[in-house]
Amino acid sequence: MPSPDEPVVMVGIGEFHAGRTPMSSIGLGSCIGLVIFDRDRDLGALAHIMLPDSQRRSERPAKYADTAVEYLIKELNRQGCKTSSLAAKMSGGASMFQSFSGNLNIGERNIEAVRFQLKRMSIPLVAEDVGGSIGRTIVYYPAENGKISIKTANGTIKII
Amino acid sequence: MLNSQQRDALMELGNIGAAHAATTLSTMLMSNIEMEVPDISVVDISKIHEHVGDELSALVIFQITGEVSGGGYVLLHIPKNSVVRLTNAILGMTELDRDLTEMDESALLEIGNIMVSAFLDATATLLSIIMLPSPPSMIIDMPHAAFQTILAMQEFSEIDQVVIFRTELHSDQHKIYSNLFLLPNKPMLDEILSMLENLMK
Repeated sequence: MPSPDEPVVMVGIGEFHAGRTPMSSIGLGSCIGLVIFDRDRDLGALAHIMLPDSQRRSERPAKYADTAVEYLIKELNRQGCKTSSLAAKMSGGASMFQSFSGNLNIGERNIEAVRFQLKRMSIPLVAEDVGGSIGRTIVYYPAENGKISIKTANGTIKII
Repeated sequence: MLNSQQRDALMELGNIGAAHAATTLSTMLMSNIEMEVPDISVVDISKIHEHVGDELSALVIFQITGEVSGGGYVLLHIPKNSVVRLTNAILGMTELDRDLTEMDESALLEIGNIMVSAFLDATATLLSIIMLPSPPSMIIDMPHAAFQTILAMQEFSEIDQVVIFRTELHSDQHKIYSNLFLLPNKPMLDEILSMLENLMK
């Protein structure tokens, strides 16, 4: 584990970060925290995806599943990663509300959209913790080979 | 997104609503409730985590219905320890080190209903329209996860900035802390702003 003093990069809704320092997204509900990492190096990227479909919008590529996957791969390629050594993990995609009108299964659609894009780009999805009706705060540690710690509101911690 | 006049008008509107909500809470608790100056922020979605966190909390959430276009939500946010103290104060219990139970949830639904109805009544009266809360939805989880899901679920999805109106209500006697959030989408915000503008003419 990194020391408590080690800086953690906060990745907000629709944002991404690529690099070697730990990075975190807090309070994922229906959003997805997608990590794509290099299995041979201490390097990877985290995107905080909010919606499945960009509907051809080009700004904020990390906000949408259909643009985020390709964008992260390009970013990692730019930093010297080979696509063939990349793998993915994801967390989130919960369904927080039972009542209310609106797009209730948005979490499920986000999960499906990310899986579809990973398959299309031939990136293996090696671990996931998705669905249910709970919020999740995740921290990704590039130095520990794709390790993600996932905390829920009641304090339980899971490592994938 | 908001000029200073619009901000002031919204602040005043929220002030009146929150004051009514605070009065109902004060009556239920039979104690003073302090109300902080409301805070109106135009927040980029990527920065919402700077306004709401991931600490275990109860959220009672209402959709706004009635004579106003667009959509919006009112959220009553109470951190876990304050929920315990709130239920304890109302039901005359003392145990502080406990998990939240169905009893807390039903007390909160009731309290939320009363407070949010008062909030919406007061703001709607000022605007001379009718605004009603939907039946509430309650979650005991991370506030950020609730906000984020609301934004993703609704007509908020095409925009990258939201207006968050927040008032802090607290009881020093019972050490209870709560936040009342109003989260209007763009059509609702525009309509409320134009009503306020007409009022000030």
